[in-house]
Amino acid sequence: MTTLSQEALEKSLKIFNKTIVGGTLFTLDKLLNVLGTLSPKFKKELAEHNITVQLRLRDNTYGRWFRFKDGFVTGQDGINKDCIVDMIFEDEASARRVTALIRSQFDFVNAAKQGQIVLNGPDAEAMWFSSLLLKVFAFDVLYLGNYGTKMPNGEMRYTTGTNGGPLFVYVKDDKIVRVTPIDFDEEDPDMWTITAKGQKLTPPRRTTVAPYAQGWKQMVYSPDRCLYPMKRVDFDPDGDRHYENRGVSGYERISWDEALDIVAKEMIRVRKTYGPGAIFASTGSHHNWGSIGYYLSCAKRFFNVIGATMCMHNPDSWEGWAWGGQHHFGGSARNGGTEPYGTVEDCLKNSEFIVFWSSDPESTSGNYAGQEGTIRREWINKLGIPVVHIDPYQNATAAFVRGRWICPRPATDAALGIAIANVWMHEGLYDKDYVKKKTYGFEKWETYVLGKEDGIDKTPEWQEDITGVPARTVRALARYWGTHKTYLACGSMTSFGSAGRTAFGTEWARVCVCLIAMQGLGKPGVNFGTLQYGTPLDTRFWFPGYADGGFSGDFIGTGAGVATYNRMPQTPSISSEYQAIPRLLLPEAIMAKDDADITWHGLGVYSVHSQFGTLHYPAPGHERVRMYYKYGGSHMGTQPDSKRYAQQYRCDSLEFVVNQSVWFEGEARFADIILPACTNFERWDIGEFASCGGYIDKSYLQNNSRVIFVQHKCIEPLGESKADFDIFQEIANRLGLWQVYSEGNTEYDWTKRLYEATDMARVMPWGKFIKKGYYVVPPLPENRRDPVAFNWFAEGRKKDTPELTPLPSEYYGRYGEGLQTPSGLLEFECQTLKRFDPNDEERLPICTYIHSWEGVGSEPYAKYKLQLISPHSKYSFHTMGDLKDTNINDIQEHRMLIDGHRYWVFRMNTKDAAERGLKQGDVIEVYNDRGKVLCALETTERVPQGICHSYESCADYVTLENDPGGEDTTEIMGCINNLTPGRFITKHAHGLAVNSCLVEVRKWEGGAVK
Amino acid sequence: MKKFHMIVDLEKCVGCFNCMLACKDEHVGNKWLPYTDEQQKHENKWICPTMTERGEAPYTEVTYVTKMCQHCDNAPCAKKYPDVFIKRSDGLMLIDYKRAGNKDIVDACPYGMISWNEDLGCAQKCTGCAHLIDNGWKEPRCVQACPLRALQTVFCEDAEWENIIEKQGLKPITDGSNKPRVMYKNLYFYNKCFVKGALCFEKDGIEEAAIDAKVELLVNKTVVATTASDFLGEFYIDMIPKNTGAMQIKAYMDGYDPIVKDFEIKEESVILDALKFGGGEGKPAVILPNEHAYEQALDHMIPKDVEAAKKAFEEADK
Repeated sequence: MTTLSQEALEKSLKIFNKTIVGGTLFTLDKLLNVLGTLSPKFKKELAEHNITVQLRLRDNTYGRWFRFKDGFVTGQDGINKDCIVDMIFEDEASARRVTALIRSQFDFVNAAKQGQIVLNGPDAEAMWFSSLLLKVFAFDVLYLGNYGTKMPNGEMRYTTGTNGGPLFVYVKDDKIVRVTPIDFDEEDPDMWTITAKGQKLTPPRRTTVAPYAQGWKQMVYSPDRCLYPMKRVDFDPDGDRHYENRGVSGYERISWDEALDIVAKEMIRVRKTYGPGAIFASTGSHHNWGSIGYYLSCAKRFFNVIGATMCMHNPDSWEGWAWGGQHHFGGSARNGGTEPYGTVEDCLKNSEFIVFWSSDPESTSGNYAGQEGTIRREWINKLGIPVVHIDPYQNATAAFVRGRWICPRPATDAALGIAIANVWMHEGLYDKDYVKKKTYGFEKWETYVLGKEDGIDKTPEWQEDITGVPARTVRALARYWGTHKTYLACGSMTSFGSAGRTAFGTEWARVCVCLIAMQGLGKPGVNFGTLQYGTPLDTRFWFPGYADGGFSGDFIGTGAGVATYNRMPQTPSISSEYQAIPRLLLPEAIMAKDDADITWHGLGVYSVHSQFGTLHYPAPGHERVRMYYKYGGSHMGTQPDSKRYAQQYRCDSLEFVVNQSVWFEGEARFADIILPACTNFERWDIGEFASCGGYIDKSYLQNNSRVIFVQHKCIEPLGESKADFDIFQEIANRLGLWQVYSEGNTEYDWTKRLYEATDMARVMPWGKFIKKGYYVVPPLPENRRDPVAFNWFAEGRKKDTPELTPLPSEYYGRYGEGLQTPSGLLEFECQTLKRFDPNDEERLPICTYIHSWEGVGSEPYAKYKLQLISPHSKYSFHTMGDLKDTNINDIQEHRMLIDGHRYWVFRMNTKDAAERGLKQGDVIEVYNDRGKVLCALETTERVPQGICHSYESCADYVTLENDPGGEDTTEIMGCINNLTPGRFITKHAHGLAVNSCLVEVRKWEGGAVK
Repeated sequence: MKKFHMIVDLEKCVGCFNCMLACKDEHVGNKWLPYTDEQQKHENKWICPTMTERGEAPYTEVTYVTKMCQHCDNAPCAKKYPDVFIKRSDGLMLIDYKRAGNKDIVDACPYGMISWNEDLGCAQKCTGCAHLIDNGWKEPRCVQACPLRALQTVFCEDAEWENIIEKQGLKPITDGSNKPRVMYKNLYFYNKCFVKGALCFEKDGIEEAAIDAKVELLVNKTVVATTASDFLGEFYIDMIPKNTGAMQIKAYMDGYDPIVKDFEIKEESVILDALKFGGGEGKPAVILPNEHAYEQALDHMIPKDVEAAKKAFEEADK
């Protein structure tokens, strides 16, 4: 970024302001010439076209035309019929409205939609002229670099957002010097205080970062960056395409024009040849951050306007909650997640016991929240609240918070939970009044738990054989829990957790809901919560999260409908396509040679029962998809039985594959054309710390403060990489969609427009915001804090927590009264499941324990004796942060450097290792019938015997034999999901069960890996 | 004058490695001459936590121990290479990057915190981010990135530092003879042992956890620590010096025979899982939840028993 000296900057701004303030586009010629003298870069852009442009009223009563020649503009009143570009205003009033510098975006969009303003001319020239006009409005920022904070030593301090927390970005000479968390300054507000058990608890005045945020600078400068458009060497779009060599043959550099021309030509060919939905698109979340240039905004809009068949994502962090838990108590808008409001304060003040069950917010940062929750979990010990952690692995939260650790075998948690309920039922240790008044179907479940019909009393002794946890421990736990006000902490926020990603992990989530129901969910001190989600922040200050749609124009497929759409004027973009492919069956769908019907039950977040809908691929009236447009992180590494996702590329089902990627890794290795995208350090955007919106409403309540930031363009894009927005725009241009895609706005324009639409515009002027870079929303005083989650339900009030969900029609009684269940009560017997299939042995209307198809005693157990769990990773965020030659890979808990190769870490009990003649630091081969993966061994007592642990989501997938997807190949980067089963969590649910995985381990004898 | 000191609190470390990453962020690809040349990209960590474990599943304790240059006042490195090392008046130890071309310098640090930059051919180490501190930064990068300030810098007079050491019970990571400016808190998570176990008894054919049973730890027939089993019937006594040798656990429960268990503390912590009370037939026993008993058990859980044990062992050390 060019930065001017302070004097030059002030002088430039003075001229700029004098010229433009109060002026309109009709004095454009003078203005453009002045700006050209101020900025050589602008002058150069001005010189890109030598054309004539007409501005006129429709009835030709007034007009002025401009001649652009070699970067100089002359203007003349009148009408010139020979002008190439013709900008028409309906009348003088509308012209004034939309051309004033300070204009209403609503007026502008409305004028465009109603034809009050029209731009005619060849696409390239019209677009060039249009963007020139918008650049005028943003001249000081885009050309004078008038943003960020200048530091005394000459460095510029910018801000950006990441999925591990916001950063200050220090830049000198267009190079990032450092990235740091944000320490608040004196004008930022004070933090909140919770008074609990006689102590005052206040978090520090700063933000925190996760390791993958602190490591971001090196991800920007990674040697694995895609810096130039690339074509696979043996891919000839007009001849032999050599599908079989995807992932094998190398790449050659081509120009942007060549690359984009190929992509646009293929898109038209495929769509015209095969009809609707012939282009398949899939996004991977978490590789960037921002409300505008990220996947639910710029990519969403692009794929909508081209009518792509989209990849239907399974809720891969929720699973058990989405497909099981929500049938008992609703929460479909959060995929079965719970309300978070006020739970941090309630937990600290009123709870006497916390059960962390498959809960590791210290590893996953909750979700996007840096280390914000860490201090709150430190307070647990400060207040002396006893804690139990239930997890096969002594996870990072258990290690840090300490307390007692109970380690059941993977996928047996439901049995443990049912045994707890059994003790409560036998000994009367539950809230009978609550169960009577607030729940439905308890007797049905009691009959099962006490074995009244099947004769099996599901006691702690019953579960001991299944879980491996001593009966006395479970009985003691049940008694303590049953006599103390208890918070149940599930997953990293609430309602995640690796136990929910096991065979029938639905039943674990379900038993958690049943247990908390028996103890009185919503009563003081009794709730769901990990102290990660539900801080006392201001929920009434409106700023959208990244999943709230940005400029997507998609008010159905994102959170825009309830969040952004009515606030930020934008033209709608709804895809004409309803065909979809389920992510977990993507390879099967792609590789099906005949018209084999892929059938599955989909997931909608609008209602609980929307997940029962039966979907088919190909959809009626559709052919199979022929082109794959891949954007964002890789499915390999994150999705089970990963080699399938390599196999799908190496056949002729896909005639063309384009991958738009920041780094050359994972699926990017399989593309025919690679379009190099830049990181969000190299482009404009705007966002909020940990704010997802959409499917995790108010996820900023994980933070100690609401921090809203502009994401500065900190440096110029590296190499020839471009912002995703700009890549989509250029393809849209080639399809004649340029105005349809972006309304002619740049990413910066949209960034500013989003700001203007939010409550930010009321509290901090744009000029200050883009200098300082962030704003901290003051927390509410104690007497204005939100009510505690579900307390309204426990006390029989109308729902008074601050959210719009569920939809009105899912209150089956009166609106706002009761839960999102048919009875409005907490249902032990789920009426939704009963109506869907009362005899589904894999998901009965009541919660039951079902043996895993891949666990101790199952058929594969004869060959493979080790149960492997692969929860979400600690040092990378899915594939983000891993590899790319960053220092994350220097963390010995993440990867181990052995003989020049950085192996993924695999953890095994010390005794299990010794029995196999293995020791710490050995290179090992982890294998089962699905594959072989090389790892480095960590021997540990953080897993008991018989259980192994390794994080999911290696960023790459590389076979030793250079035969990706091949049978009997050895994966060398640590793609653990190469070993996990692709089978659904339960047959009627599109959910994964990767933590039900049996493997064996032996020493690698194949020598050093290059 | 106010001098540099650092406190490393093992209890507050979450193992995020932000300290190492922030150090790399600051020093890889950036030259801060004359303080230091750029850090080698991989390995050569000037600061780094190491995960350590004590005990066995499911009684495992995990701790991260973070090491960096200790900026010793009586530094072996500076004694051996007086022309290479520069001791600043604020206590920070720097390497003269122009004179650090001798690979043997690396071996002069007993903490192993001097690294050899292969690319540049010079010895390097933590500078305490002196280039930032001299320009108004309040903390070095590792500290600023630390979520709970498990790393904490203290700029104060040395006399005041002595008070802080005393008050917070700070310990050097080795014997302290090098007069390190970095001191550790809760170091027992790393260098002491614990004994953990579970207590149970049988009633009506069912094995029950023994809750709130009194537990004594004895050395040479002297009680050195007492605690009570918790709500799961488990007990935990920490801060036992390594190689204490023969020890004994005694546990008591109303109506049952006491448990007496001998064991030995060498280098490792000891797990006693599970010890069962004998006798008890026909005798009254409290097994149902008893609020008072639980509260008492809680009172005896760490950190209080740690404090008690600490005192007992300090006595024993003498």
